[in-house]
Amino acid sequence: MQQEDRRKLSREYFSKERLAEHHYRSFNSFLERGMQDVVTEKGRIETDIGDKEDQEPVFVELGDVRVTTPRVREADGSEELLYPQEARLRNITYSAPVFMEMSIVRGGEEEEETVLDTTETKVGRMPIMVGSSKCNIADFSDEELVDIGEDPADPGGYFIVNGSERVLMTSEDLAPNKILAEYDTKYGDEIQVAKTFSQRRGYRALVLCERNRSGILEVSFPSVSGSINFVTLVRALGLESDEEIVHRVSDDPEIVKFMLENLEEADVQTEAEAIETLGKRVASGQGKDYQLKRANYVIDRYLLPHLHEEGVEDEETRINKAYYLCRMAEACFELALDRREADDKDHYANKRLKVSGDLMKDLFRTALNKLSRDVKYQLERANMRNRQLTVNTVVRSDVLTERLEHPIATGNWVGGRSGVSQLVDRTDHMGVLSHLRRLRSPLSRSQPHFEARDLHATQWGRICPSETPEGPNCGLVKNFAQAMELSQNVDDEQDLKAELSSMGVEGVPGLQHETDAPADD
Amino acid sequence: MSQSTATTCPECTGNLERDSQETVCTDCGLVVDTDRLDRGPEWRSFADDDRNRERVGAPLTRSRHDRGLSTEIGYSSRLTGRKRRQFARLRRQHSRANVASKAERNQIYAFTEIRRLVSSLSLTYSVRDQACALFDSAQTEGLLRGRSLEGFAAAAVYAVCRTNGVARTVTEIVAVARADENELRAAYAAMNRDLGLPTGPIDAREYIPRFATDLDVPRAVERRATELAADAAETGSTGGRKPSGVAAACLYAAAREADYPLTQQRAADAAGVTPATLRNAYYALD
Repeated sequence: MQQEDRRKLSREYFSKERLAEHHYRSFNSFLERGMQDVVTEKGRIETDIGDKEDQEPVFVELGDVRVTTPRVREADGSEELLYPQEARLRNITYSAPVFMEMSIVRGGEEEEETVLDTTETKVGRMPIMVGSSKCNIADFSDEELVDIGEDPADPGGYFIVNGSERVLMTSEDLAPNKILAEYDTKYGDEIQVAKTFSQRRGYRALVLCERNRSGILEVSFPSVSGSINFVTLVRALGLESDEEIVHRVSDDPEIVKFMLENLEEADVQTEAEAIETLGKRVASGQGKDYQLKRANYVIDRYLLPHLHEEGVEDEETRINKAYYLCRMAEACFELALDRREADDKDHYANKRLKVSGDLMKDLFRTALNKLSRDVKYQLERANMRNRQLTVNTVVRSDVLTERLEHPIATGNWVGGRSGVSQLVDRTDHMGVLSHLRRLRSPLSRSQPHFEARDLHATQWGRICPSETPEGPNCGLVKNFAQAMELSQNVDDEQDLKAELSSMGVEGVPGLQHETDAPADD
Repeated sequence: MSQSTATTCPECTGNLERDSQETVCTDCGLVVDTDRLDRGPEWRSFADDDRNRERVGAPLTRSRHDRGLSTEIGYSSRLTGRKRRQFARLRRQHSRANVASKAERNQIYAFTEIRRLVSSLSLTYSVRDQACALFDSAQTEGLLRGRSLEGFAAAAVYAVCRTNGVARTVTEIVAVARADENELRAAYAAMNRDLGLPTGPIDAREYIPRFATDLDVPRAVERRATELAADAAETGSTGGRKPSGVAAACLYAAAREADYPLTQQRAADAAGVTPATLRNAYYALD
């Protein structure tokens, strides 16, 4: 390429739209889809009304959610559009009202369900990113920007809360829903572990499958203390016969040998027995019925939640969980047999970046839960005092607002992370640009973590090799490379699965395979 | 830079507002005085003696029945089994023991209602605190007996808005309140009688900005309407008329002057009055 052309291309990468693009692309997709997804997955707010005799249950159905552009309500009650500069000068928050359709429904037990009230009501205010699609200056020309006191060269990509500009630090996390095999030491012996951070709807569960020093596989997951025998767990999930378990793990003769050792050690043979054993672990000292109930609940709730899907029965995903555990077992054995190397946690293929939209989604989810709890409480109070139940009188809009604004203002995010939002560095223009393109590793800076701090070959073209602070944060705080492109999570999983199923892949949950004729083998 | 003791603006005799740094005229914006030192109280109130030197914790607030000083038993993910169940029971007993009397329980409910009203009307925190304080004094005076809690909560918000010069109409408050209009009026009458609320007639100008936003009229029309209302207040031509009707009439008159299309019906609807009320006020204007 000619030098002129290269220069032109390079300039394009430095254009205003490109510099903080990852921030508003992420935030825009949160506004367009993420918010509605969170509301849809919440679905409805149940109440305790109707637990008593001759009372019909009441619940709230959540509908469409809508955000306008930022505006300010004055003390005299008038409302007008708010521009970023005014928010900065008046020390107010650059936020837009959020409206949600809600309907209060009574009945369902003996009477038919009747809708008591349906209204689109203001549920709170959402801080809006400067430069995003809901920002009031989104498509202003340079002259218009100057007229309202805005800097045309300002890249945007931050929030304004109580007059201070806050940028959400991009954070670098280990990729969820992926099997990572690695070595570990336990009581001085080297063991092999396969890990998966299973993530669904903001719930994150670490599932570990380890091969201990006597060669027996053990699985541990949240809500179960200690670990459970691998064979017991897959049997509880419906993978019963010896042959099938071995076949699902691997056909490799050496791995089969390892598996047979495991099967010999197994103390349960059937699914029912296995669930019983699991019940004794998760609810020891409780009644038999409760143990079974609890065991089933734990399996469907806490074990590998990412395999669940909208509209698929919990029972149907169980067998897939068993297959997944077998894949984890295979990874352990392969590692033990030196068939593969331990996965590299610093490889960029094993990393995911959490940008402002993802962080706001986490925040909105907990804020909505808090709002739901408040609505539930208000409904129960109003019902107890025999008041008419209307949407407008049970929603307190400051609950959501506070839950959204406070973390951005202080940096104390949900899940106990702190320092997520930072005051935009306005030392100079370059400072702003650098700050908006910064990313942070969640690893503790007080520990050495030499490998994590090293420049990794896969950072080529993504992360700047030289811009990192000196001192304790060295190598943990990084900056994007000039030509970095951040790809986004696209919701095409269903389409992909449907396509695979149509091509003959069997066992995709929720999709009936069209041709039931066996393949000729 | 001394602290000025003047209470009105030297140029336009408007009201002065003092914040931590500047004394500013609320009408013309003249900065009368600047004082870099914050001479106000510390951000948290504490007893002014040598023994009590606490400077930690959140500031006390009138908007909670316990002034914001409550204890909660938190959650820990490290607890398991028996210990966790024990803490769940402790938490339940603790929340039951939180409320000592029926009056306190009522106060909690009313304060929640006031907080809800204030948030849905987008009022300021100072209104919230004052409304809670007003409810508290109504309760100590024993005005609540035989009247509804919801009514008092709504009336407290209504009264505080009115005394603060940011009046809301009864209709506006009833629209978001759990009380109906009769309950609100009964409670307001009781408070006005027994607590001596410092209220006078409502100035129609307090309504105009809000109605103007609802009707989406241009700034110039709104400004002219405010002038008309000021003139009317001076000449006393609209004395005795419903202030919301006067506000709607001023907006209608200003829109007519500016040839802005605004029907009597729309203006009246925004103010929550009948077109007849608007017309009467409109004829009284000139």
